[in-house]
Amino acid sequence: MMSAGLRDIELRSRRTELLLVATVLIFSIPLILGYGLLILSSFSKEMVTNLNPHDFIPTLRNWILFFEGRTAVFGGIRVNIWHIVLNTLIVALGVSFLVTLVGSMTGYAVSRLKFSGRKRFMALLMLLHAFPGSVMVVGIYFLYLMFLPSYQLVRFYSFFFVIVARASLEIPMATWLMKGFFDMIPWEVEWAALVDGASRFKVWRKVILPMVKPGVAAVMLFGFLAGWMDIIYVRTFLVDQTLATWIESNINAEYSYLPLVAAAGTFYLLPTIIFFLLAQRLIFTISATGVKG
Amino acid sequence: MAKSNLFSKIKGFVRSDAFIFLLPAIILIIVFYLIPIAVSVYMSFTPLRNWNIQRYIHEFVGFENYWRFFYMVTHDPTVQPIFITTVVFIVVTLIVNVLGGLGLAIATFFMGEKEASGTQLLWLLPRMTPIAVYSMIWYYFFHGSAIGTLNSILMALGIIHHPIDWGQSIIPWGPWMIIIFVNGLVGVSYGMIVFTSAISNIPKELVIAARVDGASNWSITKNILIPLLKWHIVYVTTWQMLSLLTTYDHIFLLVEWGLVNRYWGTTWALYIYNMAFTAAEKDLGLAAAAGVILVIVGAVLGLLALKIMGFDKMVKEPRGDI
Amino acid sequence: MVVVRLVNVTKIFKTGVVGVKDINLTVNHKEFMALLGPSGSGKSTTLYLIAGIYKPSSGKIFFDDRDVTNLPPKDRNIGLVFQNWALYPHMRVYDNIAFPLRIKKLPENEIRKKVLETAKMLRIDKFLNRYPWQLSGGQQQRVAIARALVKEPDVLLLDEPLSNLDAQLRISVRAELKRLQKRLGITTIYVTHDQAEALAMADRIAVINNGRIIQIGTPEQVYSKPATIFVGGFLGNPPMNFVEAEITEEKQGLYMLLSGQKLTVPKHYEPLVRKAGLRKVVVGFRPEDTAVIPECRETGECIKGRVYAVEPMGREYIVVVDLGGDLVKAIVPRSLVLIEDQEVCVCPSLEKLVLFDPKTEKSLETLYAEKT
Repeated sequence: MMSAGLRDIELRSRRTELLLVATVLIFSIPLILGYGLLILSSFSKEMVTNLNPHDFIPTLRNWILFFEGRTAVFGGIRVNIWHIVLNTLIVALGVSFLVTLVGSMTGYAVSRLKFSGRKRFMALLMLLHAFPGSVMVVGIYFLYLMFLPSYQLVRFYSFFFVIVARASLEIPMATWLMKGFFDMIPWEVEWAALVDGASRFKVWRKVILPMVKPGVAAVMLFGFLAGWMDIIYVRTFLVDQTLATWIESNINAEYSYLPLVAAAGTFYLLPTIIFFLLAQRLIFTISATGVKG
Repeated sequence: MAKSNLFSKIKGFVRSDAFIFLLPAIILIIVFYLIPIAVSVYMSFTPLRNWNIQRYIHEFVGFENYWRFFYMVTHDPTVQPIFITTVVFIVVTLIVNVLGGLGLAIATFFMGEKEASGTQLLWLLPRMTPIAVYSMIWYYFFHGSAIGTLNSILMALGIIHHPIDWGQSIIPWGPWMIIIFVNGLVGVSYGMIVFTSAISNIPKELVIAARVDGASNWSITKNILIPLLKWHIVYVTTWQMLSLLTTYDHIFLLVEWGLVNRYWGTTWALYIYNMAFTAAEKDLGLAAAAGVILVIVGAVLGLLALKIMGFDKMVKEPRGDI
Repeated sequence: MVVVRLVNVTKIFKTGVVGVKDINLTVNHKEFMALLGPSGSGKSTTLYLIAGIYKPSSGKIFFDDRDVTNLPPKDRNIGLVFQNWALYPHMRVYDNIAFPLRIKKLPENEIRKKVLETAKMLRIDKFLNRYPWQLSGGQQQRVAIARALVKEPDVLLLDEPLSNLDAQLRISVRAELKRLQKRLGITTIYVTHDQAEALAMADRIAVINNGRIIQIGTPEQVYSKPATIFVGGFLGNPPMNFVEAEITEEKQGLYMLLSGQKLTVPKHYEPLVRKAGLRKVVVGFRPEDTAVIPECRETGECIKGRVYAVEPMGREYIVVVDLGGDLVKAIVPRSLVLIEDQEVCVCPSLEKLVLFDPKTEKSLETLYAEKT
């Protein structure tokens, strides 16, 4: 019986460990610099990406402007930034919901049910990964144009379309992930419920799904992030702007005030950071189950 | 006879429990994977331009788009770099991804818990960051003027005296370096996650027994960890290769913002997207033809990957007969 | 010559869980010491402290006079066998055994000689070219022992090496391992939760519970003179019977009242009971030291009871008798025919029974020894 945390002997030299940490840190310098300077710039009057301390003039103005909903200091296209945030949120939540629903259904079927072509279906899920996204986007845009509704409904249609299309892209990932979780549930639990006369759907809904809450949470989070961070689908299909397309159009625009863009970028980054605080352990435990078997 | 057999099979499937559970996924896969690919194949035989569907969709040009594509690949100096770049990009980024992921997983294994989780968090960040923010970070890092972080560091150290436009002036190495770096950091985390969880599944006693025998970090890595991770290394390599073949979203903004050269910083997948959506003259027939060939390459490599990984053996049958 | 000595060793884990507390233990040269205890008692922790896998929170560990407390495992020259044997799955048997020598960078011909020698000794020389998963459990276990022995360790540490084997094999390997240890004369520390294993193999047994050593002694001592109720109940199959009794004084001497019936306090216990001034004691007696007779006489040596169940065990029977609510077991010959609910008389051997203090659960001898 070994204590759970022990991975290695306790009596080993700290020196090699420090050396390792130092090496990894050196490789991490660009990462730390890149993220650090972006966040720092959002609190400064000038961008500080040139590492010049004189350019760092601390201010909260960028954030105040941002929270007032301004997208530019003077002129430019005045769109309330909160509309943009809301658009981003709608896409993210929609994708998250759809991915979780479909992923947990498909994952269950693949993990637990016998059906002819099961193996081929699983192979197909793996192969979908090899499908080039950009080719699919071309075909999907063709479909998008084919079913374009009347002018009044286009915005609604584009939201719906982008959510469903983006969620489809995450189906293989979500299915494999959920399969890993379902695989861990003892068969006996399911048999017991089936013997008691429950239907498969009821077993899934009432017995099995509550047992894989961490998995559902993980897929929800991954789905949310996928929708939240997406740029290609959003810029191709969505009529409205999201944070991604807003940043896309503001980096090189003459009217843009870059530290404000940095503040928006930092804000855009927040869910990622929150996600980390929530789910770091989760990522590593689930991937252990998802990869094999 | 064979037909009615297939028919009864399908009928059996529709009546089974599995059908209800799989229906949503099947619909989404058909609508958003299979039909789009079929549409692309169809488009590749038409002279479709600028999404003017009504005008061109009933015209057929046979294999002309394909011949044009081959001609451009072999003769057009603005298209050739894209294929050289794609090959270099995939090979080098793949090496960076696999070795980097393996290195990080092993390094964190030998670290204390706090240091390890800190490292993991930091290196997961690129994958989880919104692509626009991520591109913005590297846009400023590699910027060709004095506001670029890399330039200002090198200038402060006295290595260079004038800012260098990395992505536009040092052709092809500059744009290659940037797109490989930017994608490499995203890809490293995948290997790191897979290898880390694989290592945590190795019985701890194996490492401790070797320690008792006096093995160093290096000999544990060489003699125990890497041999036991063989399957995972193959898996990550093939999987990551497919990802790199089809990825384009992390490069997209770098090209659009002019950070990297349009020809030497564009990969095959991105070329298709740009041809269809951002080019002034959207030559969709050509884009579709290039896309169909990419699909074929991807499918062949994907099938090969499944063979190499021993996919058949990975799949377990469900227990019981209910 | 290696004597392993633990002085006031305590291990508290980062989580705050106490692994072991104040362990004092000396394992003599060439001795076979068993660390016996239930799972989670701290016996493996003790072993890992000796190996150097854990670092003690306080206290010191000595190999002879050398303080090894802060020495990494590789500098302690120990051989370690894990419960799951920890064979490297990707290496052939030969390479598994050779691994410790290769780490030491010995020349390959010397490695070859030593591996062959060790493999021959453990009768696995035929399997050197196979992979671990191609071997049976017993063979894998030998490979693990060979890997621990090949570097000629000063101390051999075994962490439940037999618990992954099936019951039949376990018994035959037991004798083999004991012979091997005596032949090589290596100081050996053996962790087990199986009391039969400890009794059969060890020169001395240290019984551990809740992170503390409760008793150290030869198998005979630990078995027949358990220091606490826990030890008596943990060793033996079936374990010792315990019945609470009240002490009464009469003209002839001290008596114990068990469900209203008298049992004489053995002569050698009288001074101890008086000295401790106890009103109540727990009487412990082993099933095999207990006679069951159908007819009772008033002698102060037997207690009346009712047969609760009879369990035929092949060679003999185990009778469970209900003594006014307390169930006790006795081993009786097959010739004795008993039926359920029959009245019988249970007579524990007065020389062999052990008295415990109900409050501290320690035997009166231990209690007395601690007081002086």
